[in-house]
Amino acid sequence: MAPAIQTKPPDSPFVNEVRLNAWHWAAVFGIMLVVATLTPPLWKKLERFETGPDYRIPYALSKDYWLYERRLQQIRPTNIVVLGDSVVWGEYVLPDGTWSHFLNQETGATNQFVNAGVNGLFPLALEGLVHCYGQSLRHRRVMLHCNLLWMTSPKADLSTEKEERFNHAALVPQFFPRIPCYRAEANERLNAMVERNVPFFEWVSHLQNAYFGQQSIPKWTLNEEGGDPPRYPNTYRNPFSQITLTVPPESPNDPERGPQSPRHKPWSTDAAGTTRFDWVALDKSLQWRAFQRVIETLRERGNDVLVVLGPFNEHMLAGENRPAYMEIHDGVVTWLATKQIPHVAPDPLPSALYADASHPLTPGYQLLANRLCHDAAFQKWMNAK
Amino acid sequence: MLFHTWPFLMFLLVVLPVFFALRKTRLWLPWLTVASYFFYGWWNPYYLFLVVYSTVLDFCLVAMMDHCPRTGEKVDALALLGGWRFADRVLKIAFIVSAAATLGSLAMALAGPQTLRPAMFVLGMLALLMALGALRSNRRIWLFISLVNNLVLLLFFKYARFVVENLNSVFASLHLPAKLPDPSALMPFGFEYLLPVGISFFTFQSLSYTIDFYLGNVPRERNILRFATFVCFFPQLMAGPIERAKHLLPQFRQFPPFRLRNFTDGASLFLVGLFKKLALANYLAFYVERVYDHPRAFGAPALMMATFAFGWQIFFDFSGYTDMARGVARLMGFDLILNFNNPYLATGLGDFWSRWHISLSTWFRDYVYIPLGGNKHGTFKTYRNLFLTFFISGIWHGAAWTFLIWGILHATGIMITRELERSAFYRERVPRLVKQFGVFAFVSFAWIFFRASSLDDATLIVNRISSAAWHDPQMPALMLALVAVVWLYQFCCESRFREILQTGVVRVGVAVSMVLYLCLCASGGGAFIYFQF
Repeated sequence: MAPAIQTKPPDSPFVNEVRLNAWHWAAVFGIMLVVATLTPPLWKKLERFETGPDYRIPYALSKDYWLYERRLQQIRPTNIVVLGDSVVWGEYVLPDGTWSHFLNQETGATNQFVNAGVNGLFPLALEGLVHCYGQSLRHRRVMLHCNLLWMTSPKADLSTEKEERFNHAALVPQFFPRIPCYRAEANERLNAMVERNVPFFEWVSHLQNAYFGQQSIPKWTLNEEGGDPPRYPNTYRNPFSQITLTVPPESPNDPERGPQSPRHKPWSTDAAGTTRFDWVALDKSLQWRAFQRVIETLRERGNDVLVVLGPFNEHMLAGENRPAYMEIHDGVVTWLATKQIPHVAPDPLPSALYADASHPLTPGYQLLANRLCHDAAFQKWMNAK
Repeated sequence: MLFHTWPFLMFLLVVLPVFFALRKTRLWLPWLTVASYFFYGWWNPYYLFLVVYSTVLDFCLVAMMDHCPRTGEKVDALALLGGWRFADRVLKIAFIVSAAATLGSLAMALAGPQTLRPAMFVLGMLALLMALGALRSNRRIWLFISLVNNLVLLLFFKYARFVVENLNSVFASLHLPAKLPDPSALMPFGFEYLLPVGISFFTFQSLSYTIDFYLGNVPRERNILRFATFVCFFPQLMAGPIERAKHLLPQFRQFPPFRLRNFTDGASLFLVGLFKKLALANYLAFYVERVYDHPRAFGAPALMMATFAFGWQIFFDFSGYTDMARGVARLMGFDLILNFNNPYLATGLGDFWSRWHISLSTWFRDYVYIPLGGNKHGTFKTYRNLFLTFFISGIWHGAAWTFLIWGILHATGIMITRELERSAFYRERVPRLVKQFGVFAFVSFAWIFFRASSLDDATLIVNRISSAAWHDPQMPALMLALVAVVWLYQFCCESRFREILQTGVVRVGVAVSMVLYLCLCASGGGAFIYFQF
């Protein structure tokens, strides 16, 4: 005979004492709610974040979006926010060689133009940045840079089907609109969405970015520093001692940037000839659509937006490639005009002032700022209000 | 879909409310089945064929077994066939269907598409056995079919390549011209030859039902959905605990009691599991990988510490999984058996195996060790049975010589500790802490073979540990501190200090600390170690 059926499930045995009842859980939720709510604002008061003239988010903290948000919150309403990718940030130049620096110089203003560029950004990521971390950009004057570099190929446009790895993946639309080459797993996408929307997690990410070399504390303790045998400098270090409560500033003598840097040279010195770009038509470009959405978002928030188009390094274009480029360039200008968005499309700089397809060198930024300040549309925009 | 990922949370946020919403209908069980299949199909939809096939077959085999006379009643098969008179109409239908299936499958195996031939041949043989079972009205044959079917599935997907590779290397060393084809050549429709996740767990679970029914330990389950849910219940489908029909099946007979305690207990279990996996196992894994991936680059201290770390990594990883599995099941009101009970506090290897992967140890005890004779026939046979049981347990863990040695080491260790425990001196004089340390040291030593990528690596590590000079192992202090805290907590749990841990303040404090640590320091994803088994 079969044994009698057991109907009542037995009580789950516990081998530890972490067995919480409803009151315990309420206490845990309460404590965590207080910690999660109060920590980020308290941290802002505790942590020193010195910005000063020509400040830009340090390269190492490019993915510290919490810090970026904090930076935007510090900007005074009278400032003009210069928003964009590494062209605005100044990939090849030092902080005193950036576009915003020379704009301040040309206009005679003190720190009026604020460098809000982020290294490695592109329109699809800029959209996420503005949407999630740029909430304080309301009723401001925003100078938005439009870099046509992101339409030079389907790969740059992120519209290829082949999987691509790119910067700031956490900022791009995770599900809609679909980015064909973005193949992150569902967990990574959801993680990015959670991190964007929960300030406490943004703050945790800030801690990791600012004090632990953009990695989690456990990974930081395992850091390897080359050599034979390899060295592990953090093995016995106290992680808490890393938290100095001062946001690390950008190194004043960055060997990778500035006129003394070997990278700071005209593009043509590498004997690179003209290039034939595989331009993506505006109506098919994901980046352009994202850029349009960025403008819409900024304007919906009451910002006064000025778009500066390029100047792209046209010297780099192969002859037969120019019509396609001009079609895109003109298409952007037409759309901006149709939408009555103030815009400036400066002429290209001399070839020797470009470091690559879109980044000017220090004198290039200076010339660009100078030209901009003499542009009627720019002056009109500056003098409005 | 791993428990510690966002997709699982989304999955749970859909499954749980619907499950509770259906509590007054009969649909809660189908919902659970669908959710479990979806969960399993998330890994690879093709795996679903296997789990469904295994479920349907075992369900039918037990049904056939139920229609056969109990042991002792003889059936004259020839007379039965000659007169075309079956005592049972179901068996008659089973015979007709099986005979037709045999002919059809064998015909396909001879003349069908090339890719289908091996699979059709196996199915034909299986159908032939079934026809024989129906004809002979013999329960044993049906049990045999279940055993063969489940074990063949397991052997094919888990061990075939290992066996083929080893045989081919033997043929080559003997200069024989024979060369066996890779098992992937036997896959139908060009499917990829992959180890289906959790196959060792669900086949053992399904198998335990057929054996238990045969032995009269459980009644026949007449509802296929209930049985399917038992086999593929999503919390424990991937890596156990390996449930028994006697314990889990009855829980699916009616909607579990709706109690607040289920939620609080389930959440408590889940939190502990999540902490073990994300905060501890994944962290330890970084150090273990650093050393074990390049054992030649490290000396004795690092290898020893990495082995120590691996012992804890696998404990946190596997027990973390089962804690989460039990927690999720508990949220729904179901109870899964305890699978780990602070194994590193064991005072003997027997004790260790009654605390480590309890569901597997008891499975092997009930279905291998006891049927072999257990400890009923003298010392030699007891040790032989123990040896065989651990040998099979080693093989169960994976197709590699290292797992075999790991099993043999444990078999040897358990024999030694059994002998030691016979002496009054060992039992009464040796301090408990020394015994615990001894067991931990032995188990850690055995883990070398479990973790090493190859037998060469394992021997290299053992040699280096016993010979190389001192150097700084560079194991992070934070890692060591975390393990020490957990070990201390476990010691307290089994001491008179447990009362302190039972106070509300300590419980809340521990839970808040775990949540905070998870938020601040979690070491990222990574699948569970036992998924590969």
